Parts: sequence; structure tokens; C-alpha cells
Amino acid sequence: MPSELNANIQKWWITIKVSWVKHTAYRLNFFLQIIGPSLVFFFVKYNLWSSIYAGDSALTIKGFSFQQMITYHMWAFIVALVAQGHGSWNLSDDIRMGRISSYLIYPFNFWEFHTASWLSFQAIQIGIASFTLFSVSFLGFLNLPSLEVMGVGIAYTLFISLFWFTMQYFTGVLAFWLEETWILRVMLNIITYFLSGAIIPLDLYPQWLVNVLNYTPFPYLTYYPIKIFMGQGSHLTQGLFIILGWTLVFAYINHRIWKKGIRLYTAAGM
Amino acid sequence: MKHYWNVYKKFVSTSVSVETSFRTSFILLIFMDLFFFLSTIGSVSFIYDHVTTIGPWQKNQLLFFLSFMLMIDNLHMMIFSQSFWEFSNHLKTGQLDYIILKPLSTIFSVFFRHFRLSSLFNTPVFLGSLIYYGNQVGLSLTQWALVPFLLALGLALLVVVEFTLTTSMFWLTDGMGINFLRMQMQQLARWPSFIYRGVIRKVLMSALPVLLIGSGPVQFLFDTAQWPLLVGMLLCLVLFSFLLVVVWRQGLRRYDSASS
Repeated sequence: MPSELNANIQKWWITIKVSWVKHTAYRLNFFLQIIGPSLVFFFVKYNLWSSIYAGDSALTIKGFSFQQMITYHMWAFIVALVAQGHGSWNLSDDIRMGRISSYLIYPFNFWEFHTASWLSFQAIQIGIASFTLFSVSFLGFLNLPSLEVMGVGIAYTLFISLFWFTMQYFTGVLAFWLEETWILRVMLNIITYFLSGAIIPLDLYPQWLVNVLNYTPFPYLTYYPIKIFMGQGSHLTQGLFIILGWTLVFAYINHRIWKKGIRLYTAAGM
Repeated sequence: MKHYWNVYKKFVSTSVSVETSFRTSFILLIFMDLFFFLSTIGSVSFIYDHVTTIGPWQKNQLLFFLSFMLMIDNLHMMIFSQSFWEFSNHLKTGQLDYIILKPLSTIFSVFFRHFRLSSLFNTPVFLGSLIYYGNQVGLSLTQWALVPFLLALGLALLVVVEFTLTTSMFWLTDGMGINFLRMQMQQLARWPSFIYRGVIRKVLMSALPVLLIGSGPVQFLFDTAQWPLLVGMLLCLVLFSFLLVVVWRQGLRRYDSASS
């Protein structure tokens, strides 16, 4: 039994290492696809809010001074890097191109392979996020919270990343039925950016909309994690339960989809 | 010219046939564009619930600018967008061989090959928004008459800059990242030039003139004294077209088919 466990750990570890190499093989591509969009998104928001506040240090908008608004968006950048990675985009290609035939033969499941690949992607993202965080803190652009707050914030963000992975997995396995799953992924990103407070803080949204959103997973993906890092954590328990609930629901749906989909699978190219 | 028009009609008809074969994807694409439209307009509206101006512009002016940019986006999605993604795949797989062999301009066969019908379904929404906010800012009849030309000019500048940027894929093992770079350029262009400052603004107004795409025409519509921006757009259009032809030729020489 222990040797079986060791062998399994070994499989996971090797897959993580191989995925790491694959993710970082084309560094320019990695930068343009993964880091670039978040950087440009932050750059646009920084310029937009600079233009809105127009150097007026006394101006506050819904409780946000210019400095607080920029701090909010710096944390949004970090949270997006860790919690909303796009490491599972090749999942649907594996199905469409008939590459999952290999997984049906290998002693390593499809979900295990992609989860291990996602873990390696997460490790890279966490490395980049940590480097960014300590750089901006060292340069004096961001005050890091206490260790306790950081610990809670990081744990919460990692938990969200697991939910995000189940959502990405969900859009990926729909490739059994859909020709193009990237549309669903992009749609999910657009809706999430808008409803999670990634573009502007939810404090600026109409109250009725925020009340409705609190029952969905969206605000817990960006807005509340940022609030934790800013030392204004609230809805923590509610958020954990809502995200846990949605994660379990989507994990079950993914399982069912896989079981149904594999019966339809025709192994293109075989 | 007639020959190219006939070929383009065939490109459109085959693209429509392919797209409508996958109905779920077709419908999802319509919704994707709609969500994008709503989230963009919604975000700006929510900001204006708390401030009266952003830079020198009031709510309706900025929403007119956004509608103008979204209309360009809609046309870009319809006519060009898919071809960029296909091009990076064709380079990687060697399928570009078959395009080069055709007795047509390769730039035409690569970038005009795919038409997206689903975007046409959303055009009334984007156009409606442009007309609504155009009326809100009080455009005169003459200004309205200029809008189609300014849209065409903005779209032409966007795609020529993107075509030129895309040629860099010839020198890369995987060109997918360039497509993401293009999308980031579009994101930068979706905001008026006055929100940017310093060197970055100068670069984005000249060397990589993405801010001219929307800001040039809209600022001219609001104030005709801004006509030098349109001259700048025309100059950039000519310069980038020239650059595109030169770099494209170099790229084709550099291309070594992956399939042979």
C-alpha cells in the first residue's frame, strides 16, 4: 500500500515538473498570454483613476481616496494572478483533438493529469505574485498587512483558485459537445471581471445589485479577497461556504459530464 | 478588383456555412459579445454615478466614445478577428503553404479569409448605442454624415497596425502570444487618450498609434480644431501600410513550412 501511494505521488510530481517545463518553454508567449493582460489591465485602471481623481488628494469616492483606490487595484492584480489563472485551456483541445485516448490507456487519469498541470501553473503564478508583491512593497507603493491578515488572505485566495479551476475544467469538458469552448471561457471571464469587482470596486455598484451578487460566487472571487488584504475583511465565513458549495456542485457536474462525454468520445485522428 | 470581390464573397459564404453548422457556438458568440457590451457600458455608467466628469468629458461624451470604439470592435470581430487566430495556427502547422500557393495577395488571403456572422447579429445593439449617445451629445447632421467615414478610418488604422504586428509571428515559434498582445492594444485604445500621461501617451499616439483609433475621430467630432489628429491617423495609416508590405515580404522569405 505505501509503495502504491509513493508511486502515485511520483506520478503527480513528474507531471507537475513536465507541466512546469511546458508552461515556461516559450517565455515570451507566457508573458504575453498570462502576465501581459493583467499588467495592461492594471495600467489602464491606474491611468483611469489618476484621471478621475486628477491629483485631488482630498477627494474620496465611496470611501476610497486615490491611494486606497490604487491599493485596491494592486491587490486585484495579485488576486487575479493567483486565483484566476488560465492554466487549463488545453483541456478542451485534448478532447477535441482526440488526445485523451492516451489517458484512457495510461495509469494516470485525465483529471489527475490536468490537476497536476494546474498545480504547476499555480506554483509559477504564486512565484510571480510574490515577486510583484514584495517589489511594490519594497518600492513603497503598497503597505503589506500583518502576517495574520496575509495568511488569511493567501489561504482564502488559494481556496478560490480551486473553485476557479473547477469552473475552467467545466468549460473544458464541455468540448465533448461543443466545437469551441473558448467562447464559454471568455464569457466566464467577462462576467467575472464585471461582477466580481475586478474593474471597479463593488462599493460603486448600485446597492440592490450588490445584495443580489452576494448570493453568487462572483464577489468572493475578487472583491472580498481584496478587502481581506486591505484589512477590511467581511463576509469571510459566508464567502467560504458559498465558494465551497459552488466548488462541490461543479466538481460533481464535471464528474457527471466526464462520464457522459466519454461515452460519446470518438477519438478523432485514431 | 472584381476578382477579389468575388473571392471575398466566397470567403464569406464558406465562413457562414461553417459557423452556422455549430449552432450552440454560434449562439454563445452572440451572447459573449452582448455581455462584453453590457459590462463595458455598465462599468462606465457605475463610475459616473459617483463623479461628474472623467478628464474633460461628461458621462454621455465618454459613453459616445465607448460606443464608437465598440462599433469598431464589432466590425473588427465580424471581418478580421478570427483570421488572426487562424494565422498563428497556420504558421505552426504549415497550412500557410496552401494559402501562399493561391493566385491572390497573401495579405488578403490570410486576413480576409474568415467572416463572423454572429457579430452581425449584434450590430443593431452596437449601432443603437452609437446613435443613442450621439443624439445625447447633440451631433449635427454634418457630424452624423462623417461618422461612417471616421469609423472606417479608425477600423482601417486598427487593422493595419495589427496586421503589421502580426507579421512578427513569422519570427516566433508560437505566435499565439502576439494575439494576446493585440487584444491588450485594443484594451488600451478603448479609453480616451487624455487618461494617459507622459511618454506612454506620446508613444501610443505616434509610434504605436492605438490611441488615435477612437480618440482621433471622436475628439474631432466634438471639436473640429482637433483635425490634426485625423491627419495623424492618415499618416500612420500610410506609414504602417508601407511597413506591413515590407515586413510581410521579409516574413514570407523567413517562413519555412512546418508541414514539408
